[in-house]
Amino acid sequence: MAIPFDSDNFPIGKAPIAMLILFVISSILLVISIEKKDESLEFWIYANTHYDEYQARLPLFNQLYPEVNVHLVNFGGTMHDKLLTALLSNFGAPDIVEVEINSIGRFLKGAIDEIGFIDLRPLLESKGRIDDLFPNRFTPWSYSGKIYGIPHDLHPVVLLYRDDLFKAVGVDLTKVNTWDEFIISAKKATRDTDGDGNIDQYAIVLDNKTESDYFNFLLQRGGGFFDENGNVIIDSELAIETLTFYNSLFNEHKIATPVYGTWHGHPSNFAAMQDDKILSILAPDWYVGILKSQVPQMAGKWKAIPMPAWEDGGRRTTTRGGTMIGITKQCKNPDLAWELIEFTYFNREGLANRFETTMIIPPIKSAFDVPVFHEPEEYLGGQKIGELFIDLVPDIPPRYQNPYWSEASDLLNDAIFKVVTENEHPRKALTELATTVRKIISKDHTRWGTE
Amino acid sequence: MSNNKTFQKNIWNHQQKIAPYLFIAPFYILFIVFMGYPLLSSLILSFYEMRGFQSKIYVGLSNFIDLFSDPIFWKSVWNTTYFALGTLTLQLPIALLLALILNSKHVKGKNLLRLAFFTPVLVAGVFVAIIFNLIYDQRAGIINNEYILLGKEIGWLNEAKYVMPAVILTGVWQWAGFNMIYFIAGLQGIRQDLYEAAAVDGANWWQAFLHVTLPSLRPVIAFVVVVSMIGSFQLFDLPFILTNGGEPADAGSTIVMYLYKNGFQFMRLGYAATIGWVLFIIIAIISIAQLKLLGIFREE
Repeated sequence: MAIPFDSDNFPIGKAPIAMLILFVISSILLVISIEKKDESLEFWIYANTHYDEYQARLPLFNQLYPEVNVHLVNFGGTMHDKLLTALLSNFGAPDIVEVEINSIGRFLKGAIDEIGFIDLRPLLESKGRIDDLFPNRFTPWSYSGKIYGIPHDLHPVVLLYRDDLFKAVGVDLTKVNTWDEFIISAKKATRDTDGDGNIDQYAIVLDNKTESDYFNFLLQRGGGFFDENGNVIIDSELAIETLTFYNSLFNEHKIATPVYGTWHGHPSNFAAMQDDKILSILAPDWYVGILKSQVPQMAGKWKAIPMPAWEDGGRRTTTRGGTMIGITKQCKNPDLAWELIEFTYFNREGLANRFETTMIIPPIKSAFDVPVFHEPEEYLGGQKIGELFIDLVPDIPPRYQNPYWSEASDLLNDAIFKVVTENEHPRKALTELATTVRKIISKDHTRWGTE
Repeated sequence: MSNNKTFQKNIWNHQQKIAPYLFIAPFYILFIVFMGYPLLSSLILSFYEMRGFQSKIYVGLSNFIDLFSDPIFWKSVWNTTYFALGTLTLQLPIALLLALILNSKHVKGKNLLRLAFFTPVLVAGVFVAIIFNLIYDQRAGIINNEYILLGKEIGWLNEAKYVMPAVILTGVWQWAGFNMIYFIAGLQGIRQDLYEAAAVDGANWWQAFLHVTLPSLRPVIAFVVVVSMIGSFQLFDLPFILTNGGEPADAGSTIVMYLYKNGFQFMRLGYAATIGWVLFIIIAIISIAQLKLLGIFREE
């Protein structure tokens, strides 16, 4: 009996058969690889420092849960775009994901019931964790009464300064309590050191192209772009007055220099610091960590004080940056996902390890007695920086999240640049900005019929 | 038996007709799945706006109307056009000049030099942007520090008016060598007897260039100009990294960057799709106009 299938006589030859077989095999493999096992967790992150931390600690989690296969993926800055696509297409999203504070807004847009994250409040309550976290720190990750993320951090801000260079002009910054006092001291420290008529040494470095430092001041005063109920408040007297003050640091008192490069972590900015061109900077805990790892040769030159207050006895800190961890609605096993969150976000050893590598203070009250937070930091000349941060924690202002933050911050960047470098009046800039953002929001609500 | 033969012959004839379609089918299937369908959905999407992550709402021509009164969109169109003009007036003449020099008999080490000028295009735009970010830095960058040509500290990436020139100069560095290769290929295709005939007629170098080289290069110039214009209007990664997303005050924003921001950062997918289609129309008009101007549609 002849073989029913003869490849030589296959109507269009051998090659197509080979291609067909390869196509079938690869399709099957593709389907198998997409099919997820229940006992696996896909975990997406965007920050390299977090990747190192979790990568080192995942083997310990595997000892506790040998049957669980955690797939940790670091996509870097493009992670948020990939997550957006996966949530929009309802396919391919991770079980657990870390999201950055300036990026979360876009994920909260539109109908509440279509948001891609699960509300973590019930889990936090049933696991008894909700009271262990600072309530103000839920505000960046909450919207319409639901909590979509657990905070990774608190990011209190201090004023990091060059003790040696301020002392050289007879200023002891530890005695400075308010911004008015800071300005007086800063004028002494801002100098033309080589006598060529140009200022070489500025008392403080601030960002004139993005909202970052202006927002530090605004939050410190209890302001913001949006209030608790989502109303635009960037044209409030408080916001206008703060921008007027911010502008005066550059253009009236002339004690501030615009950031070197694109942001405070740019190599040019670090170079300027090493050349003694920058005498102080508003630094969240993570920034101290970056400085320590990127500019180790400056060890011993920096010291920290709480941010000067707006008035005597006023708030001495603000908050800058942040990350949350959330569980997506595509997660098949939220309880298992929670176990991994417990392990990465609440474990005392993990939090101590995180502080040692990144200087980040955790938002967990019960972890504040971990010894590492109370040890002297050599980079800051033996100052107990962890304790300083912890002391400031109760004063950290809320930062209310809003689905329109991406648009709002983009336009706020433009407004700040126009005020600081193109002489636009703060009132005009912020009033126009608020009008534009209100229009965008109201247009959407009209379209959706939610107003 | 004869029935069987007829049957086989029928199958054979049938195959003859079907086989070509089967062979080209992979391309068309992939094209329909990955190009045709997305194009059609993006066109449909431009008449909608997202209402959340799963539902969208019909808005008619509203996205198009909004776009035409959106100042940041127009700023991005101007920036992109500015870059395209810079490419046309600076990058392509430099590429042609390089090609003429590196095609000349009198230059030594031509291959090495061609390779050197071509290399920048092999570097990913992101890396180029990061390096030029340091080069342009106002106070620490080597341009302002080492080559104070204009006697003042220029805020290449900090002052709105210098941002696009900085992007254009980076584009020249990256792409001039690449376009030079096209011009060299074109120059090598010009028949020598044309130059000899010109010489017999008493033409000098400039006249030969004007009346032999340039007309003979016309198809290559048309190709390079059209491809460069399309590339210029699709500009994204270089200014995105170089200017940190268009800063300051959208001075570095381009059409595709604004599209990306709307789609991915603001979650306004309908609006982003609209920008995409308007960009398509702009590129189509400019490309057709260029081809007409350069006489590509002309019968020889």
